[in-house]
Amino acid sequence: MITLDLLLHFWTMPFMVRAVIVIVTLGVTAGVVGVFVNLRGLEFLTDGLTHAVFPGIAAGVAFASSGGPFWGAAIAAAAATAFLSLLARRGVSSDAAVAVVLVAMFSVGVVIVSRSHDASGQLEQLLFGHLFTVSVTEVIVTAVIGALAIATVLITVRSQVMTAFDRDAARAAGYRLTLVDLSLNVAIALVVVSASIAVGNLLVIAILIVPGALARVWARRLTSLFTIALSFAVLGGLAGLVGAFTISVGLDIPIPPGAAIAAVFVAAYLLALLLFVIVRRPNAGGPR
Amino acid sequence: MSQSARGNNPPPADETPSELGTVPTIEMANAAFAYEGVVALDHVSIKADAGEALALIGPNGSGKSTLLRGLLGLLPLADGSVKIFGHKRRPGVTEGIGYLPQQESTEPNFPISLRQVVMMGRYRRIGFWRFARASDRSAVNEALEMTGLTARARARFGSLSGGQQQRGLLARALAGKPRLLLLDEPFNGLDQPNRAALLATLRELKLRGVTIVVTTHDLDLARDVCDKVLLLAGTQVAFGPTNQVLTLENLQAAFGDVQVEVDEHRVVIPGHDH
Repeated sequence: MITLDLLLHFWTMPFMVRAVIVIVTLGVTAGVVGVFVNLRGLEFLTDGLTHAVFPGIAAGVAFASSGGPFWGAAIAAAAATAFLSLLARRGVSSDAAVAVVLVAMFSVGVVIVSRSHDASGQLEQLLFGHLFTVSVTEVIVTAVIGALAIATVLITVRSQVMTAFDRDAARAAGYRLTLVDLSLNVAIALVVVSASIAVGNLLVIAILIVPGALARVWARRLTSLFTIALSFAVLGGLAGLVGAFTISVGLDIPIPPGAAIAAVFVAAYLLALLLFVIVRRPNAGGPR
Repeated sequence: MSQSARGNNPPPADETPSELGTVPTIEMANAAFAYEGVVALDHVSIKADAGEALALIGPNGSGKSTLLRGLLGLLPLADGSVKIFGHKRRPGVTEGIGYLPQQESTEPNFPISLRQVVMMGRYRRIGFWRFARASDRSAVNEALEMTGLTARARARFGSLSGGQQQRGLLARALAGKPRLLLLDEPFNGLDQPNRAALLATLRELKLRGVTIVVTTHDLDLARDVCDKVLLLAGTQVAFGPTNQVLTLENLQAAFGDVQVEVDEHRVVIPGHDH
């Protein structure tokens, strides 16, 4: 049984310090990018990109060395982003294109995993991540990719806001919407790549979508939208991490931290919705 | 500054109409516009000077919005020529042009204040890297004042009435200090007070030398504020001074078999809201 002393001093454990740095980095990154996912209504595209990255990570694990999963994810994300953008330019319905990419890429990933010797173990790690065992290199890679994702949306922030609010007016103002869309897709893909390795492929969707959706329930201004989403992504991530640590070490029940984080996010979102319904705050910008 | 030195840029916002000389704001000669290779509007030859208001009138699908998109450079020119501020129109060059799209193009639940919406009209001038300057904030304040919305600046855009939202979007277009203002059905769904306020703003803009192009089904509006009318039916039916164009003959040519009634004071097209 874990002692209270151990819980209060988990900062002294290097693996927890690395996990905390990763989850705070991901919280900030996903909080910022997730707001734009929500404002632009790109939740399904994000889901598609998440699944599209899966075979890249699987191939990286199966066929390459330690950097394999990252490069596999990056290549798969770039291919999926380019393919979806190309289909959008050709006038193919966005949802249809995402659905095709999602199914095709995920099935390829499952086939790759099923060919390996330790298929079930690998599958669990790919789906739920390995936050407690991230290396220093992975911490650095997560931070660098996160910084790139934030830079991508901040550089285009005005065009992203205007396009989300009034696409016709943004086009009329001279913004090239193909580039605006592509830059946001790239930012989403970067977050998916950086988060997939740490919290797992299936749970990336939670960290990217839930903070923005929760903030949208209550926020009445862009500034409060960003503040709530970012704060929640960081604090919710830390709560899930500490919860998983406590249960795994204290109660000796192994809980993947990625799953615990997703559970905290979803529970908090449901609570926010419930409070919204009870209070009935006159906010037309409530849940979409 | 000579016209040649300006390149494709519009005249500076502080330049008065008299300084603009005789260069028309809009000059189209036999212009045609196409969607994906299919011509949607052709044979348009018009001219509008600084301080003039031009009404685009025609049935649904007649090419009114197509013409606005053509002026914005969002549609390829299939034939003829288009000059704005004396220079050939170029795609993506929209400086000096303000645009008010139809109101339903906005996301109604967006968490944003009216002031932030109006500031969007300054985004292209602000650019990627810098924050809004005092001149940007001043332009926003002026646009809010001109549209009578200063007191509502901090309100969430979605909480405003439909008429206030429409005036707010006009303020966004005005914040960019346009010399040419394109309005797509700006009076749709407006109650009488908001309609009167919008009309007053348009008259004030004309006095300041702004050229206005407005699509409308409202013939009274055309008579009230517009100097010229362009009647459309997939092609140019008639163009010229309002009183000369809004005749029974021309309207019947534009609206086909829709019954058109003309009395002493007004022209009525049954089935259209005005």
